[in-house]
Amino acid sequence: MSLRRFLHRRRWDEERVREVEAHLAEEIEANRARGLTPQEARRQAYIKFGNPTVVREEIWQMNSFVLIENLGRDLRYAARQLFRSRGFATIAILTLALGIGVNTAIFSITNGLFFSSLHIRDEGRVVEMGFEQKGNSWQPSLSMPEYRELRDGTSKVFSEVIGERISLDGLSAQGSKPDRILTSYVTGNYFQALGVEPLLGRFFRHSEGVTPGSDPVMVLSYQYWKEHFAGDPNIIGRQVAVNSYPVTVIGVAPRNFRGLVTAPQTQVYLPAAMIVPVDNQPLANINKEDNRNMHLWGRLQPGVSRQQADASLAVIARRLAVEHPDSEKDAALRTFPLYAGRLGDLDSRGVDMASAFFLGLAGLVLLLACVNVANLLLVRASVREREMVIRSALGAQRSRLIRQMMTESILLALLGGIAGIGLGAWGSSMLSSVNLNTDLPVHFDFGFDSHVLVFSVTLALLAGIVVGIVPAIRLARANLNLILREGGRGVTGGSSRFRDALVILQVGSALMLLIIAALFTRSLEKSAHANLGFNSENVLLLTMDPSEIGYKDAQTRDFYQELLERIRTLPGVEATTIAGSTPMGLIGNGFDTVSVSGYQLPAGQAAPSMGYNVIGKDYFRTLQISLVEGRVFTDADKESSLYVGIVSEAMAKKYWPNQDPIGRQFSTGSDLTHPIEVIGVVHDVRYQGFSGPIDPYFYVPFRQHYIGNSLNTLEIRTAGDPLEFISEVERSIHNMAPALPVFEVKTLHEALYSPNGLLIFQVAAGLAGIMGTLGLILAIVGVYGVLSYVVSRRTAEIGIRMALGARRGDILRIVYRQGLWIVGIGLALGLAGAFAIAHLLGSMIVVSATDPATYLSVSVLLAAIAMLACYIPARRAMYVDPMKALRTE
Amino acid sequence: MLLGTLDMLVLQTLVLGPAHGHTIAHVIEQRSDEVLQIEQGSLYPALHRLEDRGWVSSYWGVSENNRKARFYRLTAAGRKQLTVEANRWQSMVKAIGSVMQNVTRTAVQK
Repeated sequence: MSLRRFLHRRRWDEERVREVEAHLAEEIEANRARGLTPQEARRQAYIKFGNPTVVREEIWQMNSFVLIENLGRDLRYAARQLFRSRGFATIAILTLALGIGVNTAIFSITNGLFFSSLHIRDEGRVVEMGFEQKGNSWQPSLSMPEYRELRDGTSKVFSEVIGERISLDGLSAQGSKPDRILTSYVTGNYFQALGVEPLLGRFFRHSEGVTPGSDPVMVLSYQYWKEHFAGDPNIIGRQVAVNSYPVTVIGVAPRNFRGLVTAPQTQVYLPAAMIVPVDNQPLANINKEDNRNMHLWGRLQPGVSRQQADASLAVIARRLAVEHPDSEKDAALRTFPLYAGRLGDLDSRGVDMASAFFLGLAGLVLLLACVNVANLLLVRASVREREMVIRSALGAQRSRLIRQMMTESILLALLGGIAGIGLGAWGSSMLSSVNLNTDLPVHFDFGFDSHVLVFSVTLALLAGIVVGIVPAIRLARANLNLILREGGRGVTGGSSRFRDALVILQVGSALMLLIIAALFTRSLEKSAHANLGFNSENVLLLTMDPSEIGYKDAQTRDFYQELLERIRTLPGVEATTIAGSTPMGLIGNGFDTVSVSGYQLPAGQAAPSMGYNVIGKDYFRTLQISLVEGRVFTDADKESSLYVGIVSEAMAKKYWPNQDPIGRQFSTGSDLTHPIEVIGVVHDVRYQGFSGPIDPYFYVPFRQHYIGNSLNTLEIRTAGDPLEFISEVERSIHNMAPALPVFEVKTLHEALYSPNGLLIFQVAAGLAGIMGTLGLILAIVGVYGVLSYVVSRRTAEIGIRMALGARRGDILRIVYRQGLWIVGIGLALGLAGAFAIAHLLGSMIVVSATDPATYLSVSVLLAAIAMLACYIPARRAMYVDPMKALRTE
Repeated sequence: MLLGTLDMLVLQTLVLGPAHGHTIAHVIEQRSDEVLQIEQGSLYPALHRLEDRGWVSSYWGVSENNRKARFYRLTAAGRKQLTVEANRWQSMVKAIGSVMQNVTRTAVQK
């Protein structure tokens, strides 16, 4: 078939008509000649010829691209049909939009966290490297010497190996007050290896970042350049100071490049070795084998697989273990896909799980929406049965009818999808703007990219097929004669068992959604009121880092000493201290390997890594953490005296069971020269997480550990509202150090709502709550719809019953019996389902996954609302006028 | 009617000279002593197909009854095609014939 034919097929058709007419005329004439009457001659001619329209159609189709044409025709017809029943279409589209919108919003989060493009060259070929030592989890952290080994030893598998170390610094331009920035110290090949081109100026050279202090140059992220330098086009060559160390701006990164670790986001890039002068790090420290705080990535050589790279890394790990037994014993190395490390941690399984789980919940909401629309379509199908039957009798193929009905439902779903994408965009912008309660540059962009659009459109198409397939198939199977004879009381709506099953499914799904929402809400409540081991009321927090204004170690120590004395004398201050880590905080959270003298490690286990906090002497008094035995730190615990520590009960119990820990010793991996003597035991505190066993923890005094620990949070217990003290405290700080940036200013109570703390429960409870509410509404509409339909179909029967003497109560009972049956089975299934999936929640909830109170109260609530939904149709049935009902029949 | 034989019959009819649809239908019926009854309507899609493949060409002319009618004429390619199809038909008839002969013989022997 040629295009020419296609374009001229209308003329062709006209010719065929004339040709056929001529043929028939000849035939009729021949028949007349045989002596037939004019009518009979005509009749015989037509019988002999067959259906001229079918002939025309056949030839027309030979000249057409049949599928496309039919699609076009079906679409036009479907659009007309939908437009004609606008009410139905609006409800169906809105319902589907809700379902698709929720999915789009949730997917945009998952996509934003893990899969959106990083805007680097050949993203799939870049992998992150992970490090593990026996007994610990995989870490995205390696040391500078390890970087060099990997760079030089893997050239067969990696074309480039790059490293990045993240740090908080202070940046001041032209004597202005420093601004706290998130800095990435990167190897010289960083940008070139990633294939990123500068927006302005240039990026680092390979040679830059090797020798400490020799390359005082800086690259700004696009966002920081816009926000802090107002997008100044003449920024290149500008002198600024980072932690008082002068550097020159040489380039600006492109807008869409936000680094490889996307939470939090880098604001400024410096060459790797600049960390020595800028962060005041001793070179010896940087070159320590086990000073692991660099992210490493490699770009795979062409044709090299991750497995091959892993094999190469394993060889290096074995060699390192032999060459540096102290630091590299039992070390293992392997690669991870880029997305695994995007949140700054290789073990993002929790986030993976949560994403999958919430996508699952959103899927349930969509299912509920689909069921409602399918139900609507079923009703519509029974109304349109006669139309279909007539078209079928006129020669339409069933497959064409099915295709046309499917076109209608898919069009409906696509329209719903478009509206849903709009809703989803709104939802994800709401989610993007969730207050993360931190001053760190954590910025989530859950915007829409092609992944999200493809996802939503695919979902819409699927939804269209799901909602359309059942009515279409039922119609195709329908017995035409039966329908014509029944006079419009068709079969497609006839069997109500299928509809009942759909609504049962809805009630069950809604119950699952509600139970999960309730579990999250109860978890939030329980966590918010949990005893974390300290008193979070009336404590003000302010974080600062004097190294950002160029203070050296001793200067920093004296600054804090002096500051604490000034704050202590302020009226209304009950106690004050500094601390490196705050509970549920994002900053600090120090970990170190610990070896306890006299404690035999189980064979084959590396020294355990333990959380610790560097604190001022009044820490326990400020947070009201009770001392179990021994003493707290005093001014006498200084550099020159014996190194001391205070351990948590959990640590005491683990390492000195049934013994007195006071006077015992342990040492830390970072400072083997100063063993620490235990002088006290305090109650356990939850620093991370609200449930599960509390890990061992220890405290050391700032006075003995101020070197390299300049980032601290000032914690103040106040007599009244802590927020009222902010200006006075800040004044005290700036009286001493006018340029010092102060950030993360909030109450301890607020600080608990961090992404590491209650915020995650809050977001989870909010999301699950929204989805639960949507599910509830959809299910109630479903129950109401199906019962209304039942009542409308049984009006005549009810009329007869009433005419025969049934009372209104009896009618009510009939309707309710059906409603109860549906809701009851739905609830039972929902309970079973919730039971099954609540276990997947794991540590996302802190109440029991089978908490009976939650299950019971939610079931009762849902049952009550469902019964209410039954009442409206039941009432309508009760007040059926028997005379009218019988007459319409 | 056997699948695919209509095309061959139409081509064969046109060997005698150009004809319009009605004539073609009648010639086939008469030559087969009314054994081959074709639904006349199905002739037109077949003619369309043949023309599409270049085996016949068509033009408007006047019929014996003085009516405007579309005439079909065999092309050179159509003639060749007819030979191909006729040969295929012959060999098929022969093959079927020999199978059926065997059957008749065995049936007689019994």
